[in-house]
Amino acid sequence: MSKVKKKRLGFVMDMTPLVDITFLLLTFFMFTAKFKSESESQQKFTIKRPASTADTTKLPEKDLVMIKIGIDTVKHDTSWYLSMVNETDVVNLANEMVKLEYPSADMRTAQFKINDTNWLGKAIERARIVNPKAMFAIDADKRIRYWWIDKAINEMRKKRATSFNFVTDKRK
Amino acid sequence: MAGGGEALGGGGKQKRGSSGKRKGKKRIGFRMDMTPLVDITFLLLTFFMLTTSMITPQTMEMNVPPEIDVPVEVRQSELFTIRIRDNGDVFYNSGKDEPEKVKSLKDLLKIVVDQNVNLKNRCIVTLKTADNAPYGIAVEVLDVLNQAEPLIIDGLKRNGINERKRKFTVSPFTADDHKELDAL
Repeated sequence: MSKVKKKRLGFVMDMTPLVDITFLLLTFFMFTAKFKSESESQQKFTIKRPASTADTTKLPEKDLVMIKIGIDTVKHDTSWYLSMVNETDVVNLANEMVKLEYPSADMRTAQFKINDTNWLGKAIERARIVNPKAMFAIDADKRIRYWWIDKAINEMRKKRATSFNFVTDKRK
Repeated sequence: MAGGGEALGGGGKQKRGSSGKRKGKKRIGFRMDMTPLVDITFLLLTFFMLTTSMITPQTMEMNVPPEIDVPVEVRQSELFTIRIRDNGDVFYNSGKDEPEKVKSLKDLLKIVVDQNVNLKNRCIVTLKTADNAPYGIAVEVLDVLNQAEPLIIDGLKRNGINERKRKFTVSPFTADDHKELDAL
């Protein structure tokens, strides 16, 4: 009983379920999206993190002092980059650093590029004063020399920050 | 799609004409053209899907002794040293033994676990990394030591010890270490 199908011109499809699902997904992705922070937008390097096996510990999202060690993509030099995560801490740390007359620091610097251990120690000390609860995390490129890590650990030890984290990526 | 558009247009006209004078009939089940809505939502959805990264970085916790600390006396036989040379080679030795090169990190895992279980909680593992060694290798070794922890606890339990006391530490790479490894 086959009938010749008429070609329908302009048919209407009910799009409500489609819209439902897309809105659901859209809201999900909108809420989970994280945007670059002030300090991340100021940096001129990307970090190739070392890999480690799966673990349940994740990087805390607040009360954190990040010490990044990266290779500048333009100048190809390595330095320490110190930044804090909490917004009030960022402002307070910038104020403290301006008080110390750190070169190239102003009120809006969120990430301090540091080239010598003396300043690194001072910056760590200020960060400890600004937020004593903050944890320290070292986020370093896997290609750099261990010397940079060793010096950072030493400076942290001097300022009594004896517990810290290495930031890694999950091994695939 | 065109049909939907027409229906919408017709509905609009009717409403406009009747507003004010007559009370509009309550329409049960009217149709709205949802195509533009879907267009925009899909656009936004693809944008957010492509820009979000779901991978959050992980952390590896480390503890170092504070600077002003009385040096702890350790028996040589209980000390297990792992050293990373400038070129990234990993060596291990326990006590005063001759340092041996680690062929693969899997071997190291086994050796560390065996050492700890044999010495029953008294083993102290230290990691010394040379200044010029790449940081990535140091993290890989630390990862091995972290992985060893549950295996050590397991091994100790089998020997009737339910407590795990000592963990590993990092210590500086000295000139003596350089000499010792270069002599090999």
